Amino acid sequence: MSAIRIENLSKTYDIRTTPAVRRLNLEVKEGEIFGFLGPNGAGKTSTIHLLLNLIRPTGGAAWLFDRPVGETEIHRRLGYLPESINLHDYYRGRGLLNFYAALCGVPPDARPARVAELLKLLNLEDAAEKRVSKYSKGMVQRIGFAQALLHDPNLLILDEPTASLDPVGRKEFRDILLELKQRGKTVFISSHILSEVETVCDRVAILQNGELKRMGTLQELSSGRSTRFVVKGLPAPLMEALATTAVQVTLAQGQATISCPDEPLRQTVEQLLRQHGVEIVRTETETQSLEEIFFATITPPPKL
Amino acid sequence: MKTIFLIATDSIRALLHQRLLLGLMLASLALTIFFSITMSSARKHITQNFSDDRMTNNPYMGTNQMSEVDRRKFRESMEGASTAIQAMFYQVASFGGSIVALFIFSTAVASEIRKGTIRLTLSKPVSRTQFLLGKYLGGVAVMAAFALLTSLAILVFAQTQSLELSPVIKWAPWLMFCRQLMLGSLAMLLSLFLHPIIASVLAFVAGNGFYSSPNPLYFILPSYKDFNVFFQVLQGSLLNVKDVAFLSLYAADFVVIMLLLALWRFRTKELV
Repeated sequence: MSAIRIENLSKTYDIRTTPAVRRLNLEVKEGEIFGFLGPNGAGKTSTIHLLLNLIRPTGGAAWLFDRPVGETEIHRRLGYLPESINLHDYYRGRGLLNFYAALCGVPPDARPARVAELLKLLNLEDAAEKRVSKYSKGMVQRIGFAQALLHDPNLLILDEPTASLDPVGRKEFRDILLELKQRGKTVFISSHILSEVETVCDRVAILQNGELKRMGTLQELSSGRSTRFVVKGLPAPLMEALATTAVQVTLAQGQATISCPDEPLRQTVEQLLRQHGVEIVRTETETQSLEEIFFATITPPPKL
Repeated sequence: MKTIFLIATDSIRALLHQRLLLGLMLASLALTIFFSITMSSARKHITQNFSDDRMTNNPYMGTNQMSEVDRRKFRESMEGASTAIQAMFYQVASFGGSIVALFIFSTAVASEIRKGTIRLTLSKPVSRTQFLLGKYLGGVAVMAAFALLTSLAILVFAQTQSLELSPVIKWAPWLMFCRQLMLGSLAMLLSLFLHPIIASVLAFVAGNGFYSSPNPLYFILPSYKDFNVFFQVLQGSLLNVKDVAFLSLYAADFVVIMLLLALWRFRTKELV
């Protein structure tokens, strides 16, 4: 079963403007951490609002755990942390979590322990009796994350979850995500912080102008990666054959390193090495960073 | 049902933390007390004038030595003044209550959308119907408390001023409450289309007695006229249980229609 399934999803707020989401198709499997990336105005938050049924699509449909997003009951398995979170600030920290726990259907006898556990996990124990209106941005983000975890949901939808966190908070947040992944939870995370997404996500999707540009694992997306073969000695005929290609050969300490800038050359070199019976000591693959993939994917905005 | 009560409780909590609302409530009570004191002074003035007249005409005769005709005149003047005070008390209290009701119901959903807090609430297993009904119920509870306070105020006021309560007065808090719920339901519906301030003004203006019973529009559009005890107190009309039951049914029918329309609108409303 897929945790999220989106088919031809479109959203246009105003017919005079560009659609916020255009015929989007994607699937998030259960148990994976999925990064949802894109520049500002790409349609990430609109997609999340469509998944939460806060806005209506102008085309296509979406499902959570194979149930239409319009079904309220499906929200029992869902936790959500919005971008620029606003909370009912007349509560104290503990009171706010108790209120949301009650809405989520956490049994009254289990509520105090669950709330205390999350306050501890997110380092909010000292602020538990403080009014939420007195919280700092980082504390609001933490308690926002806590409310999303209250009912131990199977799917977490997080919109820019670390925007207001300091480096320590980000590290703690990453650890919680990895722990959730180990427990088989699905996380759909929209973020601008590419390095963070890179360390936790199994797959990513890159969106621009409401359109899906690319989707896959980092390795799949890193198609232009270079490969280096480290071999013992190079026979003269092979040297001549390699000289006719675009590979780079360096010799050091009785070993040769052959660098292939792209996939077709890698295949050619591998074939030549096999033909000449040369022993490959090791193969090194250089994967592009998510940032490189991201900037190679999106079209830069016109300069002002 | 549990979810509706949770939303309602949260709504009450939110309302009690709104300084503007508390200010409005206090201002409304203060205004009521101010008018009541003014009217009470007027009553004393009438008493004084009457006594002075008697003394001028016959300095040897006090009020306790009045003729039967004079006594009747005096009693009638006193009753008139007392009725006017009570009518004025409820007129002011009702106006204040209407402003409070318009504020509560027109901002109940609109402020949650504006602040974005609705996104978090509806990400929980809470349907839009539960949310809207919970918000309405929260407003109803606050208005009930306000009506109770006003009733207590008139009882205390009548006791201290030795006023004899008009027969209509015993129904006045209930009718005032019904009127405010009607106003509130209309304001809530309109606030789903318009800015809360415009919604409030329209809701207030819409039903101030433009339609009467034979006109079919009377059953669709609001009519608050019969819920206003001001004229009934002044005219000395007697409301019986049947009249009050009919008015209550009318109010209930109106509120249900408004809430159904609000639900229809809210189900498809974009909440960002």
